[in-house]
Amino acid sequence: MIMKQRRTDMEHKRLPRLYMVSNNPASPYPEKELPGLVRSITANLPAIIQLREKHLDAKHLYELALLVKHHLHDANSLLFINERFDITLAAGADGTHFPENSCPLKAAKAAAPDPLAGKSAHSLESALSAEAEGADYLIFGPVFETPSKKQYGPPIGLEKLEKVCRNVSIPVYAIGGITPANTPSCIDHGAYGIAALSIFHTRENLGEILENFNNTLCQCT
Amino acid sequence: MHLKSPFLCCITADSSCPVTQAEKALKGGATMIQLRRKSASGSALYSWALRIKELCHAFNALFIMNDRVDIALAADADGVHLGQQDLPAGAARRLLGNNKVIGVSVSSAEEAEKAEKERCDYIGLGHIFPTSSKKKSGKPLGTSRITEISQRFSLPVIAIGGLTTQNAGKVIEAGASGIAVISAVADAPDPRKAASELIQTMQSSLQ
Repeated sequence: MIMKQRRTDMEHKRLPRLYMVSNNPASPYPEKELPGLVRSITANLPAIIQLREKHLDAKHLYELALLVKHHLHDANSLLFINERFDITLAAGADGTHFPENSCPLKAAKAAAPDPLAGKSAHSLESALSAEAEGADYLIFGPVFETPSKKQYGPPIGLEKLEKVCRNVSIPVYAIGGITPANTPSCIDHGAYGIAALSIFHTRENLGEILENFNNTLCQCT
Repeated sequence: MHLKSPFLCCITADSSCPVTQAEKALKGGATMIQLRRKSASGSALYSWALRIKELCHAFNALFIMNDRVDIALAADADGVHLGQQDLPAGAARRLLGNNKVIGVSVSSAEEAEKAEKERCDYIGLGHIFPTSSKKKSGKPLGTSRITEISQRFSLPVIAIGGLTTQNAGKVIEAGASGIAVISAVADAPDPRKAASELIQTMQSSLQ
C-alpha cells in the first residue's frame, strides 16, 4: 500500500490534490462568478478545476473555458472539462473528466491522446475498467452522505474507498460529503486527493475552508 | 466536399430508436443521416453513431453528428452539423481537419457569411416553412430567402423547417441544393416511402 502510494506520487506529481467541480445549475451566468471563484481557490493552493455546467450549450461552455483558463492563478492548477473533450481541445484545457455513462474512454483517448483523462467510478469494477482503459485518475464516491450525489445512491464509505485505492495504481480522488475535517481519513484510506462540489459555493468562509484543506492535505503528503 | 444532388438529410427524431430510423431513411434514398438526441448519454450516442455510420456507408451516404464534435471524433463520423449555440465552426474545423463535413444552421445573410468564412461545407437555412419539430422563434423565412442566400453565397443551401412532399419542389426551384427533415421522414407512417417521395419530388424539380 505504502509502496504503491509512493510510486503513484512519483508518476503524478503534476496532479493537484484538491479537485473542485463547478456544478451550479442554479446560476445561469457562471461566467460572472466562476472566474473570481477559480482565482481565489487557485491563489490559495493548486487545484484541478472541472467545468461541469451541464445547462450550458457548447458555445457558452467553450467561451467559459477560455475565460476560466486565464483565471487559474497557480501554474500547477489544471482546467478540466466534463465529458466534452472537443471543448477541452478547442479551448486548450488540460484534460477531460468522463462520467460513467460517457463515450468510452478508449475511443476518446484514441481521438484525443494528449489531454489528460479522468473517470468517475462508483464501484471497484468500474474503477478497474477505467484504469484499464487508460484513465489518468479516478473520482470515487460518494464516500460520505451528500445531497448533490444522491443520484448515485447511498454513501459508499471509507472501506470501499480503501479497497479501490489498493487495487488501482492511478490517483483516486474521494468525492461526496468531503470536508476539511474528514479529508485526513480519506487520505489515510489511500485517496490521493479530495474532490468537492457544493462546499466551494459556500462563499462566506471560502478562505478558511481552503486553508483547512491546504493544512490537511499538506500534512498528508 | 461534394453533396449529392438532390440532397436529403434525415435528422433523427426523439420518438424511437435512431438506428432503425436511419435504416428506413437510407432505404428510401436519404443521402445523409444526422444523429441528434440532446438528452442521450455520451455512451448511447457513441454506440448509435458507430452503427449508423456503418449503415450510411453501406448505402453510400454520409453520417454526421449534431452538436457533439466529441462523439464525431470518437466515432470517426463524416462530419458535424452545428447550430448557432454550438461550438464555433472555425474551432470545429481545427479539430476535424479538412476532410470532414461541417454544416451550420443559419437564418440570416450575416450568419451565412460567417459560415462561409469559417469554411463550412453547407448551410442549413431555416426555418423556411412553419414547423413543429423544433421550438422556433420568429416567422418562417419563405422560399425567397433561399434564392437570395443561394445567389449571394457559393455554399450549398439546404432548406430546413416544415419540408414536405408538397413544398420540397419549391425550395429546389428557389435554389436550394436539398432539404433536411426530421418528422417528415422519421414520424411518417412509412419512413422509407416518405424519404423516397421527397427524393423524387426534388428530382422532378431539378429537371
